[in-house]
Amino acid sequence: MMRFQRFSTATAGYVLVWRALAFVVAMGIVALLLALSGRNVGELAALVARSTLGSRFGLEDLALFMAPLVLTGSAVTVTSRIGLWNIGGEGQFYLGAIGAAAVGLFVHGPAVVILPLMAVVAMVCGMAWIAVPTLARAFAGVNEIITTLLLNFVAELLTYWLTTGPWRDRVTGALVSTERLPVAVPEIWGVVHWGFPVAILVACGLSLLMSRTSWGYEVRVSGANPGAARYAGMPTRARIVAVMLLSGALAALAGMFEVAGTVHRLQGGMSDNFGYLGIVVAVLARRSCLAVIPAAFLMALILDAGIVLQTQQLAATAVLAITGLVLLLVAIADELAHYRPVVAEPVRRSAPGVSS
Amino acid sequence: MAGQHPPVMRSGTPPVLQLVGICKYFPGVAANEDVSLTIRSGEIHALLGENGAGKSTLMNIVTGIYQPDGGEMILDGYGVAFSSPQEAIRAGIGMVHQHFRLVSAFTVAENIHLGWSDTPRHIPAGVLEAHTRELGERFGMPLDPAARVEDLSAGEQQRVEIVRVLARKARLLILDEPTAVLTPAEANDLFRALRAFRAEGNAVIIITHKLDEVMEASDRVTILRGGRNVGTWATKDCSPQMLAATMVGREIVRQDLRVRAPDAVPRSAKPVMSLRHVSVRDGRGVETLSDVSLDLMGEEIFGVAGVAGSGQRELTELLTGLRAPDRGDVLLEGKALPADAVAVARAGVGHIPQDRLQSALVPSLGVTDNMALREYDRAPIGGNGLYHAGAALRLAQDIATVAGVKIPDYSMPVRNLSGGNQQRLVARREMRIASKVLVAAYPSRGLDIGAIATLHRYFAQLRDEGRALVIVSEDLEELLNLSDRIGVLFHGRIMGVLDAAQADVERLGLMMGGRTEERGAQ
Ligand SMILES: Nc1ncnc2c1ncn2[C@@H]1O[C@H](COP(=O)(O)OP(=O)(O)O)[C@@H](O)[C@H]1O
Ligand SMILES: [Mg+2]
Repeated sequence: MMRFQRFSTATAGYVLVWRALAFVVAMGIVALLLALSGRNVGELAALVARSTLGSRFGLEDLALFMAPLVLTGSAVTVTSRIGLWNIGGEGQFYLGAIGAAAVGLFVHGPAVVILPLMAVVAMVCGMAWIAVPTLARAFAGVNEIITTLLLNFVAELLTYWLTTGPWRDRVTGALVSTERLPVAVPEIWGVVHWGFPVAILVACGLSLLMSRTSWGYEVRVSGANPGAARYAGMPTRARIVAVMLLSGALAALAGMFEVAGTVHRLQGGMSDNFGYLGIVVAVLARRSCLAVIPAAFLMALILDAGIVLQTQQLAATAVLAITGLVLLLVAIADELAHYRPVVAEPVRRSAPGVSS
Repeated sequence: MAGQHPPVMRSGTPPVLQLVGICKYFPGVAANEDVSLTIRSGEIHALLGENGAGKSTLMNIVTGIYQPDGGEMILDGYGVAFSSPQEAIRAGIGMVHQHFRLVSAFTVAENIHLGWSDTPRHIPAGVLEAHTRELGERFGMPLDPAARVEDLSAGEQQRVEIVRVLARKARLLILDEPTAVLTPAEANDLFRALRAFRAEGNAVIIITHKLDEVMEASDRVTILRGGRNVGTWATKDCSPQMLAATMVGREIVRQDLRVRAPDAVPRSAKPVMSLRHVSVRDGRGVETLSDVSLDLMGEEIFGVAGVAGSGQRELTELLTGLRAPDRGDVLLEGKALPADAVAVARAGVGHIPQDRLQSALVPSLGVTDNMALREYDRAPIGGNGLYHAGAALRLAQDIATVAGVKIPDYSMPVRNLSGGNQQRLVARREMRIASKVLVAAYPSRGLDIGAIATLHRYFAQLRDEGRALVIVSEDLEELLNLSDRIGVLFHGRIMGVLDAAQADVERLGLMMGGRTEERGAQ
């Protein structure tokens, strides 16, 4: 006799298989809806495939999307390891972008000096932006979800003010933008710049940090059971502070690469929701630092496909709808992955004669 | 008093519950194998077995939390299969779990009515509370409906759980190790209520490790061993010795643990650890420990007795560096105890805390990570900022081997282990680092007698190696059997320290109740 039974842990293999299935189902539903609205699904699918995975330009675009998503996704994942949620990736992204732009606009020198300086200043700005929620969380127990979220709106407005006010482009007169920065992150493959390999390396490094250092062990224990961390005498508060600052720095680094590698200027609204999408990436990655990479890839694929669909007169909100659908189905898949078939031995005795 | 004896049932009455050939497999273990069992109406049925024998699993099947992999369940003569606990409750089967499942921020009344289909949608708090009080009185379990659950003692929380189950018209009440967290008086109240419940023709299944309770309260006993039913007996035909031997599968030899091994380290003259006029205040400024002075000698087991909440937790936290004294000094080998818990642990003080799942373990992490908790910061696992997962695994395997716990998968979350196995692992992990002092709070809670005997032997062995042990326990027999001296706490003060050879349960009981010991041996 075979039956399915819920296990308290889901193995990676089952999760992967179920998620692949969920993705296929999501695509099926999207295709069905498109067909119902009278579009030629086959043609659209071919177009999407060609302009994402099927062509060099498509692949370059994917990599450009992936780099910031890996970093913002990592930012949320590291905090989730200690049981917290940094919802403020968007704001820290902007602060990183602002810091990088400031260096690019006002400090002059060779790129080998300027670019590392940009990265450092950007990360310091990101950390400064998350500092208040961090201290409030570590010392007063204030919920970090709300404080980090609220600061996003402040950061966005700050960017608009800078790009329309003191830092506005006086050369070409472009709106809501600074001038083009004199330095750029070098490109390595088409328009793909060093931000991509750096992001991948960062994700791998974080994974090692969490699983192979005593610092990472302390973070995992503190996140999973603060009572045990106290019992073992771990400096939980210091770990919370460090993890949240790290998170802010990661999101800010994404902003720096976006400014100095992809957009080459600070622009209002330039984040493209990368900060928020980082939350989606983290949820897909199930708190694993390495799984952030494929999760970011999937998210980048959806974004890229959405842009192609927009050229075919589909609403931009279609991307959001598809993202929501994928997330919903993935959540269902994750639950299903807890079920495994068990083979039960046949019942030997069926007569209800029981000793007493 | 009504209900002292089981009601006489007509012979035609079908059993309340019949289990036939129940099987349940987890990865790597057969938790239940071909278990058959009959529960009659009007009986209190004790379910006995070592840790990991499959008792909780079997009861989780009966209550619909798990589905069996084989076998049948027959309720009132009809075959049933529950796919959820709600269905079992509707069929009249209620369970009070080993770990309570209450919402601690809610009041008693809210917890009683939570998720109950009989509760009207809109209802004023006053009505809820009145109804709760009435339910409590009906079942002989007085409740304070407006109190928050987090402020209640373990015994009071359990009463809430039981009333919650009984209010849903349970006819079969299942209790998983209900007395492990109760004081003797609370346990007596519980048994009185169970007898009243039985008198109405209902049935009770009670899981316990305390054989005296089985002998006193139950009508029949079933013993599980290694997932199989070894047999069912009428309690009056059993003796505690026979039950213990059947449960463990061998004779348990009780030895006098106070006798030293011939090669034991002689008792030291200088104290290993001392408290000097120590006082501790809680958050509200109330003294929870007042002017306590104690000397712990090497090669000695010091027992701590007292009614629950007399300062035991504060005392253990002081000794392990989890809490600093508000007044007075704690000395380790004559020097002030370091101010943080890591340094104290590294100085050789091990700690088996009373709430292992909340503080000694990380339930969602794997067995390996949990066993590394005390040694992750030193070679071979760490020490240079790194965490060597391979070395951690080897440590976990070592601990599991000496603890006698079989673990199919070391990355499995530690919460999947049975409560007794968790306790064994924590105990062995702490013994490894306790090179000077081991502080153990209720170390045998949730352990079966075989495991308790083993644990006590290890304690005696640690003592013979020259270490100081502090054992906090509510079980006076355990303290008398094990300790060299026993200190009695009452309202945060040491009422007196008795030489265990001259102490007995009566004298300790009097002191626990606050009577001063005139002839006190100090
Ligand atoms: N959810 C689970 N996953 C894996 N193994 C389990 C799970 N629950 C119980 N077990 C195993 O099944 C066996 C029986 O456990 P349990 O019923 O809790 O024992 P008892 O209550 O008699 O101490 C143990 O070996 C335990 O480790
Ligand atoms: Mg159990």
